[in-house]
Amino acid sequence: MNDTLEKFNSLKSGQLEALDRAAGWSLNAAELAEVQRQFRRIGRRPTRGELETIAQTWSEHCKHKTFSGPVAYRAGRRVKKYKNLFKETIVKATKTLNRSWCLSVFKDNAGIVEFGKGGKWGLAFKAETHNHPCAVEPYGGAETGVGGVIRDILGVGLGAKPVLNTDTFCFGRLDRKYRLPKNALGPERIMRGVVEGVRDYGNRIGIPTAAGGIYFDDGYLLNPLVYVGCAGLIPADKIEKKVVPGDLIVSIGGRTGRDGIHGATFSSTNIDEETTSSAVQIGHAVNEKKTLDVLMRARDLGLYNAVTDCGAGGFSSAIGELGSETGAHVRLEKALLKDTRIEPWEIWVSESQERMILSVPKGKLKKLAAILDAENCEYCVLGEFPGDGRLLVTHGDEKVVDLPMAFLHGGVPNFEKPAVKRVVKVSARPPAPPEDPGKALEALLAHPNVCSRHSVITQYDHEVQGGTVGKPLQGRYGDGPGDAAVIWPQAATLDLRDYAGFAVGHGFAPAVGRIDPYQMALHSIDEAVRNLLCAGADVSRVAILDNFCAASPRDPRVMGDLVQAAEGCLAAALAYGAPFISGKDSFYNQSKDADGKEYPIPLSLLISATAPVEDVRRALTINFKEAGNPVYVAGVARRGMGGSVYNELSDTANNAVARLDMKAAVKLYAAVAGAMRAGCVAAAHDVSQGGLAVTLAEMAFSGGLGAELDLVPAAREKGLTVTELLFGEGPARLVLEIAKDRETEFLKYVSGLPVAEIGYVKEEPELSVSYGGGQLFSACIGRLKACWKKELI
Amino acid sequence: MKRPKAIILRGTATNCDIETFNSFRYVGAEPELVHINQLLAGEKEVLDYDIMAFPGGFSYGDDISAGKIYAVKMARLAGDFGKFIKGRRPVIGICNGFQILVKTGFLPANRADAQVSTLYTNDCGHFIAKWAKLKVNRRSPCIFTKGLPGEIELPIAHGEGKFIVEDKEELAAITGGELHALTYADNPNGSMLDIAGICSPSGTCFGLMPHPERNFFSWQNPGRPEADRGAEAAGFQFFKNAVDYVR
Amino acid sequence: MIIEIRTKEKYAKNEKEGFIARMAHAGLKVKAARLSRLYRVEADFSRPEFDRLGADLLTDPITETYSLSRPRPGLKGWRVEVWLKDSVTDVVGESVKGAIADVLGKEPRIVRFGRAYYVACESELKLKRAVAKTLVNETVNKFGTEKI
Repeated sequence: MNDTLEKFNSLKSGQLEALDRAAGWSLNAAELAEVQRQFRRIGRRPTRGELETIAQTWSEHCKHKTFSGPVAYRAGRRVKKYKNLFKETIVKATKTLNRSWCLSVFKDNAGIVEFGKGGKWGLAFKAETHNHPCAVEPYGGAETGVGGVIRDILGVGLGAKPVLNTDTFCFGRLDRKYRLPKNALGPERIMRGVVEGVRDYGNRIGIPTAAGGIYFDDGYLLNPLVYVGCAGLIPADKIEKKVVPGDLIVSIGGRTGRDGIHGATFSSTNIDEETTSSAVQIGHAVNEKKTLDVLMRARDLGLYNAVTDCGAGGFSSAIGELGSETGAHVRLEKALLKDTRIEPWEIWVSESQERMILSVPKGKLKKLAAILDAENCEYCVLGEFPGDGRLLVTHGDEKVVDLPMAFLHGGVPNFEKPAVKRVVKVSARPPAPPEDPGKALEALLAHPNVCSRHSVITQYDHEVQGGTVGKPLQGRYGDGPGDAAVIWPQAATLDLRDYAGFAVGHGFAPAVGRIDPYQMALHSIDEAVRNLLCAGADVSRVAILDNFCAASPRDPRVMGDLVQAAEGCLAAALAYGAPFISGKDSFYNQSKDADGKEYPIPLSLLISATAPVEDVRRALTINFKEAGNPVYVAGVARRGMGGSVYNELSDTANNAVARLDMKAAVKLYAAVAGAMRAGCVAAAHDVSQGGLAVTLAEMAFSGGLGAELDLVPAAREKGLTVTELLFGEGPARLVLEIAKDRETEFLKYVSGLPVAEIGYVKEEPELSVSYGGGQLFSACIGRLKACWKKELI
Repeated sequence: MKRPKAIILRGTATNCDIETFNSFRYVGAEPELVHINQLLAGEKEVLDYDIMAFPGGFSYGDDISAGKIYAVKMARLAGDFGKFIKGRRPVIGICNGFQILVKTGFLPANRADAQVSTLYTNDCGHFIAKWAKLKVNRRSPCIFTKGLPGEIELPIAHGEGKFIVEDKEELAAITGGELHALTYADNPNGSMLDIAGICSPSGTCFGLMPHPERNFFSWQNPGRPEADRGAEAAGFQFFKNAVDYVR
Repeated sequence: MIIEIRTKEKYAKNEKEGFIARMAHAGLKVKAARLSRLYRVEADFSRPEFDRLGADLLTDPITETYSLSRPRPGLKGWRVEVWLKDSVTDVVGESVKGAIADVLGKEPRIVRFGRAYYVACESELKLKRAVAKTLVNETVNKFGTEKI
């Protein structure tokens, strides 16, 4: 390879591509040509280290070329052009809304919003994916995914204290037989590894894993998705960071090794291509905990001017990013190594875990070192930020990189991608009714996408830090499915008399996206907001994260889905007044099975949302609380069974997606939130997968109480069938249990809105649901719970 | 009123140190977080404090076995710890803290301060986090559980909580002395005699697997209709008792 | 030196049953099994020093025993030994290395953590397949089997 490198500036395009493959850079032809053009201009050949740096910096993983690039979208004969799809949808929503409580958006490692009263705190929130590593080595992949997103929170501003981890997984179905390609792991193996990885890392580092979900679909068989999120608290005066020329570059935490070479470029390629073991690592939670403990102390003492994490690209990205204005002089021989058999350029780009880079004034190094030593946290001084705008990386006498910073951060060639709207055949005929609605409910409760997640959740320490008020498992027996986590961050504020908290909820609807990606985005944002509402959060102040996962963007239909979903994000964010504060995307989630059949994932948009809970003592839970309390259903049931779990169990031949009326939803939620604040609501639970019948069953068995209900008064679209009312998954609906002595007051709050009483909670453990004169079903709640409470793992 | 000084011992990956600190401060103690390295370096001395707490967590990753490496680090200071405990100053070990007290041999109390019991891998084979119903042994000399009702709820969160004592005499000493201050109503890990927490014969040194700091206020678990809607919950009493005892 | 730690027979029921169930899920019928933890400690320590590590640090005195040589398998079949590849960071190994320094006052060169499984089953080939399917991931692990 060295011979080829010598002649780099005179290589032909075919030779460049061969070199790229041999080196594993994942640069495309246009990018390679651009690199060559630049070095011809400088008048010398690049070093290996320089090419590696460019490959990392320009990778899909770091630059998000697809989403931030130009797109030509064709729907029928109409063509719409985007210069930068991301800016014209996601970022545009945030800019248009311009909310004063957004303290930092899209520019740092995580988004930050105001937290609590008095402007003292910010809440940092971030989610990302770690899909490819989890497909190859689920345990290590999940561990390092969790570790990575925690470091994003540690590296935002001058460092936030993590108080919540979230995780959402997508796997192939466990209950089906597949013929897998050689070396591919089965979904059960992947799930077990991922769950154990999240468990062992999150538990060891002492951050509660308390929100998320698991979703099963054939589309994820060869490409599991592992979304990991983290939220943390940061003092409002620690949000700005600025490297000062003359500062030292200090690396703290883990050592650098040959593990983790080419992680960034690895995540931008198909995994059925050759993968090397060095891209997969095992996490070291204890090292990261040391780093966390050191950072929090050093931050409060003001011992550094800037911090960021070593993620994709390792030192090259972290130091490159911090030094993008000042330049950096790095002496790689100073790095602490795991292994001496490592090339200088490998030290520079290695993605070994659990490392953070600090910009430290020379005079403060001694104090910082004392804290590092006290916590047994290793560190090394790698060089300094000189202020000349030049990136100079040396190893002894060897020059590894010598480039102006501007070279790296400008000039990525990007070109227009074609996108086209898929044509989906939609049938809106009345759905076939079930023979026995009671049996249908039992089957829905047992469906893998509805049933209990307790066997996974109880393996996570979801209550460490003593602040998980809204629990993933809640209710009378501690086993009902919570809608959103409510966190009271006492371990960060240290103030037990400050009752401010926040809620985190999710929305995810890939099955809807298969039919209508635009509605999928709407439904997902609505579901996330509704989950927050059900926990008693202030939904007038929701902030959201977008995490897109998609198949190959070379397929115009994949790009078309992305465009529609991004447009949906824009529309819904504006309607709900909920700005995006951070986001991430992951492409090329597509592989072939043993028979050569392509398995592209469906477009998967995870919406993670957070909103303040003014007083955690008033947080709400989903379980029925008291016999005699009236039960209300809020929101209009809309026609369409498209994307429902029910359709998966028995096809109704109706695949229309229920339209979301966003304006009506916002109005409804504001009124319900008012009633909640006044203390009228005893329990709330959203209608989501499985539909209204599942919602009612979960509220009943989580509270150990039955209910006597008649659905006739429930608000609905004209022509809606009982099947759609019971099992349809139309958005913007929730079920409320009202405290009986507060019913009159409640009705004042919701007057004129589609909120209807459907019955009452009763002591007898039986859920009886009728429609007018006829009983639809009557089921023992113990039986319903038994169907639902499956052991997933 | 006197604010007793409480030393909250920590090390790498002692994760529940801050909520334990907050709990002690709330009940009127003056807590201080002290790293085991500070004790080993002689910067701090345990005998300067009135109350000692070993919080929960995964000290040193719980590699080898839970609490083992922390216990090894304490060995050099065994004399000071022994004096503190035998001097009947209140000591509480929660979860990983209990594991540390067991592996150092301070609990169950025995003449040689040798490890006579263990907290082994749960019967289910893995970590488990959930709320557990617990029976309070009101005949126990334990100072931390005084004044609690006969049955309470606290969260558990551990992978190695199965309490085992091999020696019959040691076990008889526990039951005879009513040292098993807390037992599970529905044994989640396979512990002998459903034991969730034990104390020294004086009742001043107490180790338990459940987490009282996580049920300190009633709103830390809002889903239960039977929950007392007042401010403080069962866990509060454990900390309050320690401070009251010193005063 | 490899220090092998075993759960005493009377406490080993759960781990054995868990292992047998896991292998059954991977399509292998296991008649009997024993499990061990392995610590490979590379250091110029004396035998009494290794004994001290086994007794005082690496073993739970109530439930486990240690040996500096292979313990008697107690069954007929195969012994499977699983390690992380040398290129993969061994987190447990690292922390045990630090703990050894705390106990002996000197640090070993290398500590690696592994596991051994003594398995009575019908064939080595089927065993290997099941191990590859459920116990190890050859991206990060290496394993070997031998007849016992």
